Amino acid sequence: MITISTLIAVPAVIGVLLLVLPISRKASGYLALLASLAVAGAVIGFIYRFEPTAGYQFADNVEWIPQLGIRWHVAVDGVSLAMASVTALVTACAIGFGLWAGRDRSHTSFGLLLLTEAFLLLVFSARDLFGFYVGFEGMLIPLLILLGVWGGAGRRTATLQVIAYTAAGTLLMLLGILYLGLTAPGGPSFAMADAVGRGNDWVFLAFALALAIKSPLFPLHGWVLPAYRESSPEVAAVLSGVASKAGAYAFLAVLVPIFPVQAAKYAWIFITLGVIGFLWGALLAFRQPDGRGVVAFSSISQMSFIVLGIFLLSDRGATGATFQMVNHALVSAALFLLAGWLEVKVGSGSFKHLGGLARRRPILATVALVLGMATLAVPGSSVFASELLILLGAFEAQWWLGAIASLGIVLAAMYMLRWVSAVLHDREGELVGTSNPPDLRQGALLVILPLVLVLIGLSIAPYQLTSRIDASTHSLITLASQEASR
Amino acid sequence: MIKGPAVDWLAIAPEMTLMVGAFVLLMLAAFIRGRDRGIGVIVGLLVLALSGGFAVYGWNDPSTTTLAGAVQIDQLTESVRVLIAGCGILTLIISVGWTRMREVGAEFAAILLLACAGMDLIAASNSFVTLFVALELFSISLYVLCAFDSKSKASLESGFKYLVLGTIGSIVLVYGAAFLYGATGSFGFDAINVALTKAGSGDALVILGTVLVVAGLAFKIGVMPFHMWVPDVYEGAPTHVTGFMAAATKIAAFVALARVLLEALPAVRDSWQPALVVIAVATILVGGIAALVQTSIKRMLAYSSIAAAGFGLIAIIVGGDVGARALVFYLAAYAPMAIGAFAVVSMQERDTKEHKATYDSIRGWGFDRPIAAAAMTIFLLGFAGFPLTIGFIGKFVVLGSAVQGGFGWLAVVAVVGSVIGIGYYLRVILAMYDRSGKSGAMVPAGPGLGSATLVIVICLLLVLAGGILPGLGLDWATGAARALVAAG
Repeated sequence: MITISTLIAVPAVIGVLLLVLPISRKASGYLALLASLAVAGAVIGFIYRFEPTAGYQFADNVEWIPQLGIRWHVAVDGVSLAMASVTALVTACAIGFGLWAGRDRSHTSFGLLLLTEAFLLLVFSARDLFGFYVGFEGMLIPLLILLGVWGGAGRRTATLQVIAYTAAGTLLMLLGILYLGLTAPGGPSFAMADAVGRGNDWVFLAFALALAIKSPLFPLHGWVLPAYRESSPEVAAVLSGVASKAGAYAFLAVLVPIFPVQAAKYAWIFITLGVIGFLWGALLAFRQPDGRGVVAFSSISQMSFIVLGIFLLSDRGATGATFQMVNHALVSAALFLLAGWLEVKVGSGSFKHLGGLARRRPILATVALVLGMATLAVPGSSVFASELLILLGAFEAQWWLGAIASLGIVLAAMYMLRWVSAVLHDREGELVGTSNPPDLRQGALLVILPLVLVLIGLSIAPYQLTSRIDASTHSLITLASQEASR
Repeated sequence: MIKGPAVDWLAIAPEMTLMVGAFVLLMLAAFIRGRDRGIGVIVGLLVLALSGGFAVYGWNDPSTTTLAGAVQIDQLTESVRVLIAGCGILTLIISVGWTRMREVGAEFAAILLLACAGMDLIAASNSFVTLFVALELFSISLYVLCAFDSKSKASLESGFKYLVLGTIGSIVLVYGAAFLYGATGSFGFDAINVALTKAGSGDALVILGTVLVVAGLAFKIGVMPFHMWVPDVYEGAPTHVTGFMAAATKIAAFVALARVLLEALPAVRDSWQPALVVIAVATILVGGIAALVQTSIKRMLAYSSIAAAGFGLIAIIVGGDVGARALVFYLAAYAPMAIGAFAVVSMQERDTKEHKATYDSIRGWGFDRPIAAAAMTIFLLGFAGFPLTIGFIGKFVVLGSAVQGGFGWLAVVAVVGSVIGIGYYLRVILAMYDRSGKSGAMVPAGPGLGSATLVIVICLLLVLAGGILPGLGLDWATGAARALVAAG
C-alpha cells in the first residue's frame, strides 16, 4: 500500500532527474507532466481510501536523525489531504501550461516545479517540526530560482524582496522550532505531538510571523505583488495557488494546535489584521491596472479572510477557512494561467490593451465568467459556501465582526466585475485588434479546464469536501477553542 | 646529557608521516626538477591517505598525552586529522591541471603536507609552546602556498600580505601566552587551568594575557576586527589554495581557539565570553553586509567565510557539550562546501583564462557547465543553510546550541546574518543561470577539468549525504566534543 512518502518521493525523484539529465524539451515536459499526473492519480486514491474520522492516515513514521530526536513522520488528516489534493492538481495544470507556453531550458524549470510540489506536499503532511521546516524553507529554493531566472524584467528586485520577507520570517521560526524540539522533556524531540502546549509567547510570535508573511497577512504582503507580477504564469499559479496556502495551512494545522493558549490569547490580533487585510486587499484590487494585479490583491484579500476564519477558533470558521483555501487555490491558479494565456496571445495583461475579448470567443468568455463569478462568491458557487461558513463563524463570535467582514464580499464583486468587464467587454482593446487572438482551445483550455471543473464540482456538492474535513478541523482547534471560551 | 621525554610514536604517526613525506618530496623535487609528470601529486596523495589512515587506526584508542604532556591525542585530534587529510587530498586533486604544477608540483605537494602537519599538530597541542610551533608551521607553509603562483602579482601580493598580517597575529598570541605564563608559571593547558581555577580571574596579567591570546587567534581565524587580510589573501591566492584555506585553516584555527578557551581558560570564562560575544555579533553582521556589496566571487566568498566564522564563535561562546559538538560539526560541514565552491570557481577561471571570477564573468556560465553550476548552487545553498544540505544541519546545531545555552538573542543575530547571506548567495546562482548572458557555445575542456569535476562531485555527495543523513557525522562530533569538554 502506498503511503504519503511515496507521494512526496515521486515528484522529488523525477524533479532531480529532470534537473540533471540532458533531455529534450518535449521529453522533459511530458515526463514532468506524467509525474505530476501520477501524483494527482495517487491523491485520488488517497481521497477514496480516506476515513474522515480516523485521524492521521497513510502514515510513515521512522527514525531519521536520532541524535537530534528527529523522525521522518508524514501523515494526512482531512485538512492535509485537501491541501495535498489541490497541490497535485495545481502543479499538474501549471506544468501543462509551461508545456503549452514553451520555456527555454525547460527541463530545469519543470524539474524545479516538481521539486516545489514535493516540498509543498511535505509541508502539508509533516507531523514532525523538522520535516515541516524542511518543506517550508525548502520550497523557497525552487520558487526563487524559477522567479529569478524565468521571471519578467523586474525579476531581480522581486526575488530579493521575496527573500528579504520570507527568509527572515522562516529563520525566526527555525529558532522557535529549535526551542520546542530541544527543550522537550526526555531528550530532544521534534514531533508536533510532543510540542503541544510547551511554547511561550516569543516562540508563538516567531511562528506567527513566518506564517503571516507566507500567507500573506496584512501588513506583511509587500513581497506579493512583485512576485506575482514578475514570475511566469505557471509559477505565479503555484505561488498564489498553493505555496501561499502553506502559511494559512500551518496557522490551522501547526500553530493553533501547538500553541492553544497563545492562539486564544492573541486571536484578536489575527482577526483584526484579517478584517483589515480582507477590505484593504479588495480596495487595492479595484485600483489595479492589470489582471495580475487584480488577482494578486484579491489573493491578499482572500488569504486574510482565511486567516480570520481560522482564528475565530470555531468549527464553522475553521472548516470554512479550509474550504476557502481549496477554492482560492483553484480560482487564483486558474486566473493566473488565464492571465498568462492573455499575455501570450495578446501580448499584454494591462487593461489598457485588453477588452472586447468576449466577441467571437465563447469558450474564453465562459471560462472567464465562471472564474469571475466564483471569485465574487455568487450564491451557489463553492466560494459562496466557504465564505458563508466563515461569515457565519464571524457572526457567531461578534455580530459586528460579521457585518464588517461582509463588506469584503461586496468589494470582491466590485473588483471582479471590473476585471470581467475590462477583459471581456468594454471597447475592443488596441492590442486585441492587432493580435486578434483565437478562442481559448485545445492545449490552453485543457490546462485551465480541470481547475474550473473541480470548482464547479465543489459548487454542486460542497458536502463532498466539508464532510471529509470537519472532523479534522474540529480536532485541530479543540484545545484552542476550549482555551478561548475559558 | 639531557634526557628526552618518552615518545609514543604511534600516537603522533599522522603528523610524522606528513612531515617525513614532505621532506621526501622536497628531496625528490631536486632530482625531478621540471619533469614532474604528476609524481609530486601521487606521492602527496599517498602520504595524506596514510596519515588519515593512521588517524582512523587510532580512532577508538583512549585519550593520551605524550612528549611530556605537550601533545594530547583524543577523539578531537583524530577527527581533525581525518578532516585535514581529506582537505589536503581534495586540494591536491584539484591542483592537477594547474599550469604551475608541471614545473613545481613536488614542491607544492611538499608544502601542502607541511601545512597539514601543522594543522594536525594544532589539534593535538596541549600547551602554548606546541600551539605556537604548530601555528607557525602551518602559517608559514600557507604564506608560501598563497604566493606560489610566482608569475602572478596578485598571488605574490596575497602571500606577502598574509605574511605580514599573519605574523602580527602570531606575535600577539605569543605575547599573550607570555603574560599567562607570568601569571600561572606554566605553558601547559592543564596546569594553567588548575592555577587559574585556584587563583580566580581577578589578576590583570591573566586578563591581559587572555585578551591577547584571543586576539592572536582571532587574527588567524579571520574574524572582526582582525579580518582585513581575509578578502585580499583569498582573492589573490591560487583558487584551490583559497579553498584549502577556507576549509582547513578555519578548522585548525578554530580548534586552537576552542582548546585554549575551553581547556586552558575555562576559569576566566567571564572575561573572554563577553568579548567573544561582541566579536561574534560584529563578525556576522559586518561580514555579511560587506559580502553583499562585492563584485568578485572570491571576495564575496571571503567575506561570507568571515560571517560564517561568527557562527563558529557562537558555538564556542555557548561551550559545554552541545556547544563543542556544534562547533566540530559546523567546521566539518563547512569544509566540503568551501572546497567545492572554490573548486567550481577555479574551474570557471580556467574556462575563461582569467584570474578573476566576477558576477559578470559567470553570467550564463551555468548553462555551459551544468554539473559544476548545479553543484555550485548546492554549495551556496549549503552556505546559506538551506535544508537538505550539510550546511543546514551545521546551522541547526549551532543555533540549537545557542537556544539551549540561553543565548537566544545571539541566535537572532545569527538569523539576521543568515538572511543577508541568502541575498548574496542567491545573486551568484541567479547570475550563473542568467539567460540573457552569453551562453550556448561549447567550452573546450581545459587541462584538469576531470580532476576538478571529481572533487566537485565528491564534495557535492558529502554535502548532500551530510544534509540528509547526518547521523554518523553527529556521532563523531559528539565524541570529539566530549574529548574537548572532558579535558577542560
